[in-house]
Amino acid sequence: MRKASVYLALVLLVAVSVVPFLWMLATSFKHGQDIYTKVPSLLPLDRRTGEWAATLENYAYVLQVGGLGRAFLNSVWVCLVLVPAKLLIDALAAYAFARIRFPGRDTLFVVLLGGMMVPTITLLIPRLHVTQALGMFDSGWGLILPNVASVLDIFLLRQFFLSIPVELEEAALIDGAGRMQIFWRVVLPLSTPVLSVVTITSFLFHWNDLVWPLVVLNDPDLYTLPLALQQLVASPDGGRAYYVMAGATLAVLPVIGVLLVFQRRILQGIAFTGLKS
Amino acid sequence: MASPALAETPTAAPGPRRRPRRPDARRRDHLIGWLLVAPAVAYFLVFLLHPALSALYYSFTDWDLRTPARWVGLANYTDLLFDDVKYPHFWTSVRVTLQYTLIAVPLTLVAALVQALLVNAVRRGSNVFRLLLFLPVVTAEAAVGAIWRWLYDPRYGLINSVLELFGVPGQNWLNTPELVVPALAFVSAWQCGISMIIYLAGLKGIPTAIIEAATIDGAGPVQRLRRVVMPMLRPTTFYLVVTGVIAALQVFGLVYVIFSGAGRSVTGGPEQSGLTYVLHLYLFAFRYDAMGAACAMSFVLLVLIVIVTALQFRFVRREAA
Repeated sequence: MRKASVYLALVLLVAVSVVPFLWMLATSFKHGQDIYTKVPSLLPLDRRTGEWAATLENYAYVLQVGGLGRAFLNSVWVCLVLVPAKLLIDALAAYAFARIRFPGRDTLFVVLLGGMMVPTITLLIPRLHVTQALGMFDSGWGLILPNVASVLDIFLLRQFFLSIPVELEEAALIDGAGRMQIFWRVVLPLSTPVLSVVTITSFLFHWNDLVWPLVVLNDPDLYTLPLALQQLVASPDGGRAYYVMAGATLAVLPVIGVLLVFQRRILQGIAFTGLKS
Repeated sequence: MASPALAETPTAAPGPRRRPRRPDARRRDHLIGWLLVAPAVAYFLVFLLHPALSALYYSFTDWDLRTPARWVGLANYTDLLFDDVKYPHFWTSVRVTLQYTLIAVPLTLVAALVQALLVNAVRRGSNVFRLLLFLPVVTAEAAVGAIWRWLYDPRYGLINSVLELFGVPGQNWLNTPELVVPALAFVSAWQCGISMIIYLAGLKGIPTAIIEAATIDGAGPVQRLRRVVMPMLRPTTFYLVVTGVIAALQVFGLVYVIFSGAGRSVTGGPEQSGLTYVLHLYLFAFRYDAMGAACAMSFVLLVLIVIVTALQFRFVRREAA
């Protein structure tokens, strides 16, 4: 009896979480006139006859006219370049901070950590100014370079590297391996848990990021998916929920796929990192 | 491999396998170390340290991002705080943001705690429940804003339809000034998944022996929650309050998308009722080209965040004493 009520409560809460997505999906497949019904339907049904009436027209429209097809590809491209580059830069630095002794190391690390305290909004305008000064305003590089390292990720990777038994690396050193060989052959293969957490959270963050593309891009051909979606909402089509929901579905589906595939890693990692970058 | 016993024995000749690190090897290590951190340090200098310092400098200037900045001393700060002709909505945005924080943070924490307690109480299917409750968190702000604009639609939105099922009259959520902040806060509570996961980790950390002891002593579920579970979750709650307040004070993307279009983003909703602090900052920077004033606003926010966090720490320490 008690158990049943716990499950009932859970199902209700899950419904609150999930129904908005189901409604988004249903709306995205409806014909324009079918969304204006007194009793809303979670299935794409004809307004008059109540028969199944799904369509892909909304997707065709937002992909072409709305520019979301190009924006989707832009987002994929940015994530494909940015996420691995960032991981490499962060992991190299984290390894040096964890294992290699060099003068000024610990002071430098503390200074870097201090940088985490400054809110992103404080950095936004001067960062944009620097990006302009470097000639990267309104370009793909302007999307990537100003995000290409993360102090938080360096910190997380360093903590993990520190937990690897140092004997393993010493053994390799004695066998004549160089620093970089140890990093590639010993440290990285042992670090897949933290590497995957950092990769996934970084992908989620940049796939979803709206603010930086919003300020650094002017050219609609370069828009990323969240920015193109926001522009769709702001356009005269913003009142046409069937278009907007098709756009939202395009933004949400890849992320849900990643969540389903990597759920264990994400849910473990999130407890430590949040979703910041 | 190189056993410590062997290394400590003075008689043992230095074997060929244990190379002492010679000075040139150490120097090479220094070089490698610096090379490995160089890209990250370059990023830090160019895109973090320099922007942080220049934000402070520009906050004392009149600047539009294109022409050279002109030093104006404290004028930006005093104008923001006291000149309600130049910045008529500054205090409105402060009020809206504080209201939002005061509603969104408790609502999110309560929702997260309830979810965590329930997920923790079941064995079968808890992973599936956890996953589904987490879904809203990984969704892009732009998509969240788009979805909730449609859910809150006064005539055909799902929320009003559900309310009318229960005999509650539908509302024009995003166009009624008094309802805008609660409606936004509800969206943030919808996205409470991260807090839920962190609460779950906290719940797992409570030793079952303590709960069992309380049960044997005759404590019911409500008493156990109030007297045992909640006190033991205190550090978790504190962490979530601090991070939640810091995030709520900076809410932007959701509001920007929800009030996109039809000229509404310029005002931040009906009668500025959704004009959050960072939205106000963004509008001054990118609609009115007042970059200096926007930098000053960002430092006022920084100070506000530091003060709020310090107060929370102090509050907790006094309670602990």
